[in-house]
Amino acid sequence: MSAVLSFFGAPAVMLARTVRASLRDGVPWRESLAQLHELGGRSVWLVMSGMAFFGAVLVTIANSQATRFVGNVAVLGPAYFELLIRELGPVMSAMLTASRAGASHAAELSTMSVNEQVEALEMSAGDPYADLVAPRVVAGVLGVPLLSVLGTVAATLSAVAVAGYAFGVDGRAFMDPRYVDGWDLLAAGLKAVGCGLYIPLAAAVAGLKARGGAEAVGEATTAGVVAASLGCLLIDFTVSLAFQLLRL
Amino acid sequence: MRMLAWLGRMGLDVVRGAGALGLVAGRTVLALPRLERRELARALVQFGHDSLPLALATAALAGVIVVLQAGLYIQRFGARAFLGWASGYGVLWEFGPLLLGLIMSARIGARNAAELATMQVGGQIEGLRGIGLDPFAILVAPRVVAMELSMLALSTFTFLVAILFESVAALLTLGLPLRVFYGTFADMLSPLDILGGVVKTGAFGLAIALLSTAVGLSARGGARAVGQAAASAVVRGCAAIFVLDFLLTALLAGWMA
Repeated sequence: MSAVLSFFGAPAVMLARTVRASLRDGVPWRESLAQLHELGGRSVWLVMSGMAFFGAVLVTIANSQATRFVGNVAVLGPAYFELLIRELGPVMSAMLTASRAGASHAAELSTMSVNEQVEALEMSAGDPYADLVAPRVVAGVLGVPLLSVLGTVAATLSAVAVAGYAFGVDGRAFMDPRYVDGWDLLAAGLKAVGCGLYIPLAAAVAGLKARGGAEAVGEATTAGVVAASLGCLLIDFTVSLAFQLLRL
Repeated sequence: MRMLAWLGRMGLDVVRGAGALGLVAGRTVLALPRLERRELARALVQFGHDSLPLALATAALAGVIVVLQAGLYIQRFGARAFLGWASGYGVLWEFGPLLLGLIMSARIGARNAAELATMQVGGQIEGLRGIGLDPFAILVAPRVVAMELSMLALSTFTFLVAILFESVAALLTLGLPLRVFYGTFADMLSPLDILGGVVKTGAFGLAIALLSTAVGLSARGGARAVGQAAASAVVRGCAAIFVLDFLLTALLAGWMA
């Protein structure tokens, strides 16, 4: 029970403290840009190549379902394209970002707190929430939606290529936006922003709590990545359920 | 010129990584007969039993998400009868193995790499070699075997829980009777479909175990190297899972069609 409470409560408290600290001290924009490069620029190859393989898998599965029932992947294509835009693009990109950026945030912050650099920052009148956590949160909220757009594009292009070359069907049928409407884009955007907000917070919770030696750094990294990935799934579930209940 | 240097460095990194992975895999196989039993038991408890809540939570979420998404198409095309088959197929072939692999890579891969990197940085692995013990038999082989067994066992529970939650979610959100859900599920899925998911999960488990131990053993430097090894193990594990997922899907789909 206490594990569940702290899973949901600790990031909320972290968010509240970060917002309060950055309202008081302001967000260091230069550091936010550096973090955006760290989270976005250095994850972009992982996200794009991972999503390209995922798009190829998606069209392979669509093809094997289509050959069994309806004959041509062109019939299933638009439905799968909507699924990719609304659901799999944002969430899979966010989970890949969670593994890359969540791990590096948690490792960095826990190294700093194990080496008492966080205390040193407080001693010199800095605020760890405003100086360390806020830039990462800003970078996550801006970076994860951008990464999920790039990941979705990569998945679509590779799906079109695989459909064309491997299955000999017109791949352009796959990227038919017939079923995509504004609500799909809203759901995708909410998922991406939610995950972008959650990943740095979960990593910061795990990282700033670390005490001890090198082993604590490893444990904090594990805890941060697990919390970030599971959080992305939960956010996805919550948004999907809300849209389903509202019949959007 | 800079491009060329970058390409060369990438190439060297790839060769070095593949070499380290091959070396770890080979020495692990050689060490299998001498594997440390007590360490294996500890790793089985840690990887399998202790991951059960996380794996089951992931499975439940994956099942409900698949049904919520499929519900969109069900309402649009009116193909309610296909839901059992479509969501069962989605979980068995794709989302069950993929999400279990990603979560376990985050949990076990990072922990393996961090533990081995701590020992490597602290000189404990040199120490083991110094007193004539093989670190592969004591540290690596038990982890690889335990990871493989845990993943195979967890995949069964994952599939069961995911399908249970799917049927309940279909009942609650779409009003689809359980009888209809399991009816199409049983009629249209063959045992081979379950095999596909199990093969994928097993391959992911092997990749995570070998990659994370190879990354951990090659850590050099101070305390910073431990965090970097843990992060790098997760990243490589996720990348390997997506690549393997594609290769296995193409292979199995081609073989079964």
